[in-house]
Amino acid sequence: MSSNQYFNHEGPWSEATDSLMCTDTGDWRSKRPVVDKEKCIFCGFCAIYCPIQVMEMTADSCFEPDLDFCKGCGICAKECPKGAITMVSEGEFVS
Amino acid sequence: MAEKNKARLTKVLDYLKYDDPFSKGVSFCPGCGLELLLRFIPRVLGNDIIITGTPSCSAPVLLGQNKQSWHTLSYFGTLMTGAAANATGLVRYYKKAGIDNTVVCFNGDGTANDIGFGNLSGAAERNEPFIYICYDNEGYMNTGIQKSGTTPYGATTTTTPYGTVHKGKNLRRMNLGVKMAMNKIPYTATATLSDLEDLAKKLLKAKKAKERGFCFLHVFAPCPTGWGANPADTIEICRQAVKTNYFPLWEAENGKIRMTKTVKKPKPVSNYTKLMKKFNHMTEADLEILQEDVEYETCLLGGLSVLEAECQLPVSAQD
Repeated sequence: MSSNQYFNHEGPWSEATDSLMCTDTGDWRSKRPVVDKEKCIFCGFCAIYCPIQVMEMTADSCFEPDLDFCKGCGICAKECPKGAITMVSEGEFVS
Repeated sequence: MAEKNKARLTKVLDYLKYDDPFSKGVSFCPGCGLELLLRFIPRVLGNDIIITGTPSCSAPVLLGQNKQSWHTLSYFGTLMTGAAANATGLVRYYKKAGIDNTVVCFNGDGTANDIGFGNLSGAAERNEPFIYICYDNEGYMNTGIQKSGTTPYGATTTTTPYGTVHKGKNLRRMNLGVKMAMNKIPYTATATLSDLEDLAKKLLKAKKAKERGFCFLHVFAPCPTGWGANPADTIEICRQAVKTNYFPLWEAENGKIRMTKTVKKPKPVSNYTKLMKKFNHMTEADLEILQEDVEYETCLLGGLSVLEAECQLPVSAQD
């Protein structure tokens, strides 16, 4: 632990000076969201309602999930007003 | 093409001015309403806020584990019985030290309504300048879904099970928001996750109003795991709760209640209860009791919001 000028005998419970803790939450997923770029109208509802905030804006005016951390809850597919997002079973992506 | 598309972008993104202080992979259940709320607050209020919290679903993430942290915010973990008192101490220290800061006391409904209510009430009376946010998932979800004061009538939890003798919770839920508004504190509001623009506006208003004293926010955050709901339905549950008047959205400045979203034709409460398993067993008669309770709360709010215009006691029949 790094020395701290305020606490000589006791350190803080958790430190944010080192790298943050991170769980491989993408591993929990049984279905993944697949975005249809043709149907996407770029409204951003999937991005604001995603609890993990993994929907990212791409250069070609579309939203893409970060599949490393997407838990596959399906809120984006449910909230999309155009039905551009479908939840596809992970089994179909196994090579 | 890209220019044209930009105009359609939801206005909520304009309120998210700051970076997300949390790491990407955080261990909340899939579809958790709390996670969305927790990531939303520092992105609207700024990353320099200080959060105090209690043992709850939020604590394992906010407190960190094994000397490592899940986020870069300042966090102060307290006991459930002393949540608001500890926040008071922090606020007074910052005032003495001359540091301008926003202290956010972030607790669940168990702390706010049951265990830590004495502190909350005291802090409201003393008008301490901090923001108290209660995320309401209607039960003690972290310890295994026990009933709390805000669990609605008929809901099954592990302490109010459904069987031959007991048919879920047989008591009505308490209305924490109105209770706090009646203390005439500078700002009280209810919010939910289906209307994030409304939530962001209320958070910013609370940050401003905190200079005048105590601010209280009651946020409805569904728990798909505890309620037996589909994780994808989290936002839909919030939306139906507003549409059925089960959780009306209002704000009160100095005790003056104003509706922020008026529902002209409220839907029957069964539209909301059918979305989750905890109300599965409810018969027509049970639903009627719940509906009556919802209508009572709505009438109460309606009455309180016209308090200014007709501030006269109703005349009794004997006079």
